[in-house]
Amino acid sequence: MLNINTGIIDLVSVSILALAFYMQGQAYYKPLIEASGIQSVILAALSTFLGFITGIYDYFVLAIILILLRGIVTPYVLLKALGKKYGEREKIKGVTSLLVVDLAFFFTAVLIIYEFVISKILISTTYGVYELIFPLSLFFQGLYLIASRNSTPAQILGYIEEENALVMFGIFLIPIPLLIEASVFLDVLALVVISSVIIYEKREHTPIDELKG
Amino acid sequence: MISVFLETIIQAIGVILVSPLYSGILDKWKANVASRKGQSIFQPYFDIFKLLKKETTVSSNASSIFIYTPYVVFSTYIVISLVIPVVYPEPILLTPTVDFLGGALLFSLAGFLKIIEAMESGSNFVALGSARAASFSFLGESTLITVFFAVALITGTNNPYIEHEFAQIPQYYLALDHILATVAFFMLWLFETGKLPVESSGLAELGMIDDALIYEHSGKPLALLKWGGYMKQYLLGSVLLNVFLLPWGMQLGVLGAMEDIGIMFIKWLFLLFIALVIDTSLAKLRLFKVQDFLAVAFVLSITSLLLSVIQNA
Repeated sequence: MLNINTGIIDLVSVSILALAFYMQGQAYYKPLIEASGIQSVILAALSTFLGFITGIYDYFVLAIILILLRGIVTPYVLLKALGKKYGEREKIKGVTSLLVVDLAFFFTAVLIIYEFVISKILISTTYGVYELIFPLSLFFQGLYLIASRNSTPAQILGYIEEENALVMFGIFLIPIPLLIEASVFLDVLALVVISSVIIYEKREHTPIDELKG
Repeated sequence: MISVFLETIIQAIGVILVSPLYSGILDKWKANVASRKGQSIFQPYFDIFKLLKKETTVSSNASSIFIYTPYVVFSTYIVISLVIPVVYPEPILLTPTVDFLGGALLFSLAGFLKIIEAMESGSNFVALGSARAASFSFLGESTLITVFFAVALITGTNNPYIEHEFAQIPQYYLALDHILATVAFFMLWLFETGKLPVESSGLAELGMIDDALIYEHSGKPLALLKWGGYMKQYLLGSVLLNVFLLPWGMQLGVLGAMEDIGIMFIKWLFLLFIALVIDTSLAKLRLFKVQDFLAVAFVLSITSLLLSVIQNA
């Protein structure tokens, strides 16, 4: 069954996922941070849409918090922390192989979790069990972004992506309690403070030489 | 029985004879956009006839594979044209020989044979082009097969004709996995036919991939390889149009089969227009970015596969 609401939700979710893949391939810091902001704004739009079709006003509050904190404040602070060097980029090699490994990773992870956990346990959610694969994919994509990159901004953005995935998971799974909104709020505040400090301190993390053997 | 036979002949002739025309039209349009008069749209036919009359020269290193493989490649494309819905929307005489995946494997076979015979000549340019073709097409083939898997999972069969009918249902046509598969297949079509963001056609050696494979050929084998290239473009483009992009409007019956050639022509003008816009507005990617382009297509097809797997679960 394909009704129009499901169609809209699917399209928006896929655009979030597509932006996540774009971030995986993007080496320059500025568009990377902007993409993260746009991703959060799209997530807020999704939350607003769910608010309209369910009539629960918590979704609107969540959307406002998302736009303010992850759409505006976090990108602003990260860009400030990066300084004026806008052409700066991370030296990544082999985007193709990264993407292919990434695909193998998240495809198998999502399939296994969906098949053995979600489809067995969850019968009814606020919005369909099928939609849960988008936050799952996004979560593993964020995890892989952290694992595959050396630079601090990319790792922080991977963390934000995981946070976005958790919020998305939350709004698909249950009518959101206030706790989620509060945690979004606190998480990002702490994240912004810590991340800007880390970016100032250390821009790139190389693999630890002693462990190489 | 006779009508099926006639439809088969119409489809085969429709592919073999009409396919060079679309390349001519695209070249003419590209010239017009660049404010040039451009060559005739029948130029590919003139080229083929000219080459058919010329003598064949063969490198002294080359074995008989080099001489005979162009014929095998050409006939492989003819076989493919009989098994997928490229002109006529109903199964025809030789359709039950292979399914969709078999069609994809035949494309791979033709690509493999082209690389093998090109390497026989021992030319440096050809070795360069073969290395490029082989190192890019591994992602292309995997995308092709993944797209077909996704489509097969949704429709529950691997028969291209049933998939063609399935695609006409609006619910399925607008479903997300179908849209993603369409975009992935379109990117693949751009790569396989050497369109611009991937490869600029012509004899600029620095960027050539597929053109390098026919660099050492002359005379009849060259004509056949070029013609095969046009047929490949037509076959892949028609699958894109009939199974993914515009599955509507095909007619049945012997007369309908003749009309279908015209209907396909109109559909192709639409596809060529998209190709023209891309060709005249995008710059060529750096050679090592081609893999990234194909990786994006692969990502889309895998996402489509994921969605269809879970929807069917």
